[in-house]
Amino acid sequence: MTTANFDALKAGDSIDGPAFAVSRESIRLFCDASLDYNPLHLDDNYMKGDFGKTNFGGIIMHGMNNFGLISRMLTDWALPAGAIHRRLETRWLKPVKPGDTIRPAGTIKAKQTTANSRWVLVDVAVQNQRGETVAAGEAMLEFPASAKAG
Amino acid sequence: MAQAESSAATPFETDFWKDAKLRKVWDDIVPGEPRKTLPYKLTQEAIALYCRAVGETNPLYLDEAAAKAGPYGGLIAPPAIHILLMFACTPADDWMRSPGTVNAGQSWSYNIPARPGDTITLQARALDKFIKRERLFVVHDNVFFNQHGDVICSGRGQTIRPM
Repeated sequence: MTTANFDALKAGDSIDGPAFAVSRESIRLFCDASLDYNPLHLDDNYMKGDFGKTNFGGIIMHGMNNFGLISRMLTDWALPAGAIHRRLETRWLKPVKPGDTIRPAGTIKAKQTTANSRWVLVDVAVQNQRGETVAAGEAMLEFPASAKAG
Repeated sequence: MAQAESSAATPFETDFWKDAKLRKVWDDIVPGEPRKTLPYKLTQEAIALYCRAVGETNPLYLDEAAAKAGPYGGLIAPPAIHILLMFACTPADDWMRSPGTVNAGQSWSYNIPARPGDTITLQARALDKFIKRERLFVVHDNVFFNQHGDVICSGRGQTIRPM
């Protein structure tokens, strides 16, 4: 994993986050932490039904749990360097279910210097234990000129 | 706009079916119309619970002494705390709680961190709605503020509405 140092960073450098084991308990805990008690995440009977052309076959993890894991990876990487997590955009590609293990990762895409600051763009993704991408997106981190690692 | 502050006195309704009939369906949602929101006092307990749910361990969120010595001069919430704030700042009849609402993607911009003790307010509305491949979409537009009127974060999202 690359250290967050603006000058040394280059496109293709990678960031990774720890694995996260998804269980009925982890999903229930996320309900309590987010106050999102949508039956998609709680009610197996409800999830036996169809959603348009989709049938999930059982409860699924909150999409925003992916978002939270990506955000954790970015802040853990950025904060020690005095950098700031400024933006995160994600979309969900596949449902995540109890028993899955997911892991966030990022790849540096570009660096940009603006009138008052310095920015790093990162492609982010979350993969499951089968190597399938379940969430993907893009993040933006600010490296203020005064950041100690700059 | 803002009503009584949400607090322990009015416990959060975790049965999302209970008020389902009161909520707007896709047809009723008017893009541009402000949603009803509730001020919410963010506590250290709520931050710690969120941290536990996603495995956040950074002392800036959890260790008061370490946070005091850090760049923010005190405890802060992780940026993605808006995941909680979205539900904490909306009433039980808000359409985001309609069972079967599917999150189709989100983008958030972060200005300053939320802190424990902040009273958070939300300005929110549907900005757009459309139909794609027989699915009913709504585009969400949300901005969270602290008690000083500073923007904490702003977000755009899309949900697929239940049929």
